[in-house]
Amino acid sequence: MIAPNRYRRTLLLLAGALAASFLIAVAVGAVWISPWTSVRLIAWKLGISARPSSVPHSAEVILFQLRLPRVALAAVVGAALAASGTVFQGLFRNPLADPAIIGVSSGAALGAIAVIVFVGSGALGAFAVPLAAFAGALLTAFLVYRLARIGPAVHVATLLLAGIAVAAAISSVMSLVMSFSGEQIRDIYAWLLGGLVGQGWQSIGAIVPLVALGVLAAGLTAHDLNLLSLGEERAAQLGVEVDRLKRRSIAVGALLAACAVSMAGVIGFVGLMTPHLLRLFVGADHRRLLPAVLLAGPILLILADLVARTALAPQELPVGVVTALLGAPFFLYLLRREGRRARARA
Amino acid sequence: MPAPDAALAPRPDAALVLEGVTAGYGGDPAVRDATVVVRQGEVVGLVGPNGSGKTTLVRVASRALRPVAGRVAVAGEDPYRLSSKQAARLVAVVPQDVVPAFSYTALEVVMMGRTPYLSRWGGGAPRDWARVREAMVATSVQHLADRPVEELSGGERRRVILAQALAQDAQVLLLDEPTTHLDVRHVMDLLSVVRGLAEREGTAVVAILHDLNLAAVTCDRLIALDRGRVVADGPPERVVTHDLLRAVYGVEGEVVPDHVTGRPSVHLGPPRAVPAPLGRRAHVIGGAGRGAPILRRLSEAGFDVTAGVLHQTDSDAVVAERLNLLRVTVPPFSEIDQASEDECRAMIRRADLLVVCDAPYGPGNLANLRLAVEAARAGVRTILLEQVPMAERDFTGGRASELWNELREVAEVVGSYDQVTVG
Repeated sequence: MIAPNRYRRTLLLLAGALAASFLIAVAVGAVWISPWTSVRLIAWKLGISARPSSVPHSAEVILFQLRLPRVALAAVVGAALAASGTVFQGLFRNPLADPAIIGVSSGAALGAIAVIVFVGSGALGAFAVPLAAFAGALLTAFLVYRLARIGPAVHVATLLLAGIAVAAAISSVMSLVMSFSGEQIRDIYAWLLGGLVGQGWQSIGAIVPLVALGVLAAGLTAHDLNLLSLGEERAAQLGVEVDRLKRRSIAVGALLAACAVSMAGVIGFVGLMTPHLLRLFVGADHRRLLPAVLLAGPILLILADLVARTALAPQELPVGVVTALLGAPFFLYLLRREGRRARARA
Repeated sequence: MPAPDAALAPRPDAALVLEGVTAGYGGDPAVRDATVVVRQGEVVGLVGPNGSGKTTLVRVASRALRPVAGRVAVAGEDPYRLSSKQAARLVAVVPQDVVPAFSYTALEVVMMGRTPYLSRWGGGAPRDWARVREAMVATSVQHLADRPVEELSGGERRRVILAQALAQDAQVLLLDEPTTHLDVRHVMDLLSVVRGLAEREGTAVVAILHDLNLAAVTCDRLIALDRGRVVADGPPERVVTHDLLRAVYGVEGEVVPDHVTGRPSVHLGPPRAVPAPLGRRAHVIGGAGRGAPILRRLSEAGFDVTAGVLHQTDSDAVVAERLNLLRVTVPPFSEIDQASEDECRAMIRRADLLVVCDAPYGPGNLANLRLAVEAARAGVRTILLEQVPMAERDFTGGRASELWNELREVAEVVGSYDQVTVG
């Protein structure tokens, strides 16, 4: 356990880094909007100060209609993914769990696409897509958990194989669904690759309460997830209702993943990398880890999105491609290390 | 072995009651109709060979395995009807080994023992931290507080997990082989902590112990399991017996009361590779320990060894018993009766080799020398061990010496054990 002082300092540092990455991401683009201008404009919108006179109207429009919603969405999605990854890693007792790797994001995407193709995204209100995504994520998470568990343990190999198998099955169903989609196929495809484009303030406002709910529920499982890492039987001996904890964790992880997917498609590796890196700084205690990943997940995704839209400007990369480029080597490193550990234990 | 005490009805001070418990995995129950009652402040050892159902019994008591039949009560409550938290305040378990999936420090792991007392956000009140500190001092792991437990040695981690269980403040403490991975000092420390807990806090302790000597000196009572059934239940001296070793473990050993503790103490022979049987028989006439080295040597060499006539408490008789040899014995200090003499004569007649040792000879065992002379004259290859001169060990007024001299003429005489060649 790290000292409370050091923990507080780490959180402060992360909060500072989040603010900085936020302002940088907002500033960079076809038109440069200096952080100082952004701060003054936001202060004006919040009613703190008068409108800065020297700032042109176009900057105001770009900031509030284009850049801010996008960066805010990246922050919310990043937080949801990181929290989901934290919960799934705790549940699977495995640092390789991530909503995308275990197929849960695919499940959510299938649910969402089914609604978009067959019902139409607007038809059932703002919550239709998130709810369908949640249902898909939940089913997938249960399925993978059941498949991956052999006896008391979830081994890396079975976890990955179960995730791959389920994700493959889902993607074939998804192709089938998309074959009914006609004109929408291009949009759906772009969304699937992970995109933070084109979401307005309204849909962000709709998803934030759901993410908040998920984060709160994740917080309530945090302490018990610590005990679960000692094994199910030991956790039960120490007073954890293990079956209830597992059901809750699956629901929470699925909800958070579904929120992220319904807003931004399948973005991998944020849920893998964030908890893992932060464990090095704040320790494994989920009660400390969760607040930290809620700050770090947004940083990671905001910066990934910044790269996605500036690297080949004016063309945009899907943000999922950027996180995968970052995350895949990280994943391989982890996989090798886990393999070595497993051998050392045997 | 004493029968399980069926009259152990639930008593007011019974901390743990397992009554007629049958439990296991799948069709073949690992525990059958087992009744175990442990009182407050009592330290009970569970002994028995691998696969006899000890761990299963502990899992039933720890609410991890619901029995197929029978009743479980901890402090009068059925743990399977309680919440995990309520049950964890009553029963604490020390499992064999626990390695967390993520890197937690020893302090964090011990603090997890306070879970049954914490609220959901549970940071821990000062009282909780005080209990954690006490538990860590008791198991001498306080210096490891900030170390990640997966980096600790097996023994250190064992003690951290014990501290975790102690921090639980439960009325019943179950230990599954608590001494594995521990060096002698930490074994004694751990068992002292556990005994102290029983004596001062009235905790009921049940420990699976493989070392019978350790179990005998540590526990107030032992319960032996064999193939899922309780086969003995009582004070150590009534449970750890020659019969237990033979019937339950299938080993030969000697059980004698320890000089200091008075508790039974088990002495097993050193393990030996089983020799290829030679298909040849050897008979040894010994006494007063003079035959023991020969008995051992010939057995190791693969002879089918017989011994006699020996007096029952003679150390050669004990060795013959431990080596599980066919032997003829008579009561201590008595003369060899006709029936025993005839039995031994028949035994020697079947032997390919006879070794006569330089034992003291008196009226009690003079018949042995007559048997030897008879056999040697009949053509049995006879070796005479003569390290101690006959004059010093003739208590028959010369008759033994006469027979010995007669033997010298027909037998091979050797001066030391090493010269007894068996080729």
